[in-house]
Amino acid sequence: MTKAVILGEGIAASVIGPTGAEQRRLANKVMEEALARAGLAFEAIAYVVATGYGRINVPFADRQITEITCHARGIHFLFPEARTVIDVGGQDSKAIRIDSRGRPHHFIMNDKCAAGSGRFIEIIADTMNIPLDAVGDLSLQSTSPATISSVCTIWAQQEVASGLAEGIPVPDLLAGVHHSLADRISRMALRLRLEKPVVLTGGGCKNRGLIAALEEYLGCELLIPENPLITGALGAALMGRDIVEKARQNNLPLETRPRVLEAIHLLG
Amino acid sequence: MTEEKKEKKPHKRMTATRAAASIGPMVKEFIAGTNRARKEGTHKLAYTFIVCHHEEILRAMDVLPVWTENFAGVCGAKRDAERFLQRAESLGLSRSLCTYALCGIGYDQWREELGETPPDAPWGGQARPDFMIETGQILCDPRSKWYQASQQFMPDIPIYNIDLPYPLFQRDRDHREVLGYYHRYIVKELRGLIAFLEKQTGRKMNYDRLSELVDLSDRIWNLVHETYELRRAKPSPMGTGDAMNTMVPMNFMMATQECYNFFSDLKKELEEKIARGEGEVEEEKYRLMWGGGLPAWYALNDFNYFNGKGASFPVETTYRMVMPLDEMDLPRTNDPVEHLAWRWLGYWTFWYDKARRRPGSEPDVERLINWVEDYDIDGIVVHQAFSCRTWHVGLIWQLNQLAKIYKPIPVLMIGTAGQKEKTNREVPSLILESDIIDITSYSEIDTRNKIDAFIETLESVRANRAA
Repeated sequence: MTKAVILGEGIAASVIGPTGAEQRRLANKVMEEALARAGLAFEAIAYVVATGYGRINVPFADRQITEITCHARGIHFLFPEARTVIDVGGQDSKAIRIDSRGRPHHFIMNDKCAAGSGRFIEIIADTMNIPLDAVGDLSLQSTSPATISSVCTIWAQQEVASGLAEGIPVPDLLAGVHHSLADRISRMALRLRLEKPVVLTGGGCKNRGLIAALEEYLGCELLIPENPLITGALGAALMGRDIVEKARQNNLPLETRPRVLEAIHLLG
Repeated sequence: MTEEKKEKKPHKRMTATRAAASIGPMVKEFIAGTNRARKEGTHKLAYTFIVCHHEEILRAMDVLPVWTENFAGVCGAKRDAERFLQRAESLGLSRSLCTYALCGIGYDQWREELGETPPDAPWGGQARPDFMIETGQILCDPRSKWYQASQQFMPDIPIYNIDLPYPLFQRDRDHREVLGYYHRYIVKELRGLIAFLEKQTGRKMNYDRLSELVDLSDRIWNLVHETYELRRAKPSPMGTGDAMNTMVPMNFMMATQECYNFFSDLKKELEEKIARGEGEVEEEKYRLMWGGGLPAWYALNDFNYFNGKGASFPVETTYRMVMPLDEMDLPRTNDPVEHLAWRWLGYWTFWYDKARRRPGSEPDVERLINWVEDYDIDGIVVHQAFSCRTWHVGLIWQLNQLAKIYKPIPVLMIGTAGQKEKTNREVPSLILESDIIDITSYSEIDTRNKIDAFIETLESVRANRAA
């Protein structure tokens, strides 16, 4: 997903748009939408920070900051007591240890394997022809979770298909899938020497089955943001605000890019 | 067999020193030299491994070492390992085994099948050996299994195994109690190697020449140590990226005058750079330690990426295969073989006493702590190469142990009552994950994303640092 957050005194607007290969176009599109929602002209934006994998493809960004730092900042703003952030997104998953000021001091990422990211559940939901937003709740109906032993998404997909053919109930298969993902994510997070409280963020928070499985594997309760998809973008906006405030305090000029949105050409 | 295609050539890495830039032709020449010797029959050729303290013996017998790990690394650095790895896979070997060994086995099988060098082999290819010297030491198990596997394709090539153990660290036991026993065993192993070589070459060992070469190596050890210690300077004149080049003379050309000359030149170059205030990076912001793991040979440009962020690498544990001899307290002996065995034990037990004095420490952790302090290090970067079990297991353990017992960074934190409190924090670390030569395990975008995030972490630690 491509997200934008405009920050004033509070959140003036937030937009969650689709993602895809045309990152520049999508960045312009969500920004345009966010400005419209906030009722602001682009010139009114003092500073723009881009984050995430596509951060270098945001043509109007004044600065790029990684999602590690931005998630840490965003989560600290929402949960000042948080000491560990686990982000389960569609592309990757990561765990970040943060200090009392919301600064990251250790992180770990799984960016190599779809079986350790939200993509795993998306693919399985697709295989089972079940809407993505229903799989979590369905998994919680399980009485005997299946064991999904494959460490590869494609093989797990086949394992689920075989399970269906064998007549294993759908909730049990889904619970197995959620346990498999939670197992992988928690092993990654535990490498960081997890410190509580732990906040879960990213698309994974939309899935109650995954939250329950993660809490079981991590052995602790997870705090969940109200809007978990925008915590990285919120962190970026907060970092931008910090930069502006620091420049103002020190009476230093701010280097910014021209506030121009490229024309959006839809393909096809 | 699978389709064998060459991969795209990598961009050349920028070096900070002239000496590091001169390594490519040097490696090319010693690979070419072994091929010439094969063709002209001037020398016997031995497949063998680095870090065996046997170079002096080989060179005294005029045996040319063919460093098989080096050739695999060259294939990786030239992004031309995949076709050899695929061939090994086609032989039924798992990709999760040591990819140096897989590359070598795949190459050997191909060369033996063709009866000549495989097409377009990097730098003229690896020559067929007259014998193979493997080592069943603690360091790494493929170092004995690799040649046994390759021997399937070269049944006429004999193998000699030198076992080179050392006492493992035990907090409550002084290693000196058993050192004599280990020493006698290693001496026996090395004398066995000499007997094997005498038989293979039909020549007798010249012990005077061996003594001269051992003496030359000792001088090189001290010279390398002095040279690398210069990297403590601020800004540091040379980084790990360059050290991944300068490891070549240290590990592949020990006991040669060329190696001595190389480090004399490098030392002079570093002294000159220090006098000019010239660092590895123009504006040194962060000083990092490469805390272990073999590098991703195809991605050495990542060191330039770090450099571009103002991060230099004044020190690395990888390939620092020498330590100052005068700090080892080695027993005096006129027998060069006995000296080699003492030096071996001295190297591997170098940090034992220091580690024993620090609660919770271990030799490898102690080395990290000492070098964090000596080189004024801000963060540690390690590389977990999936196919290298030897490094992989210990690295994470070392980082965990280090974080547990060593918190040198004073920071101000907001306490539970909202007031600022001074506390101490561990050295930040970054774990990179890929492989030594298997490029399929590597993603440049993801690696650099991690590097960016690590640099931001260092920035935040610095901003948070208490005076």
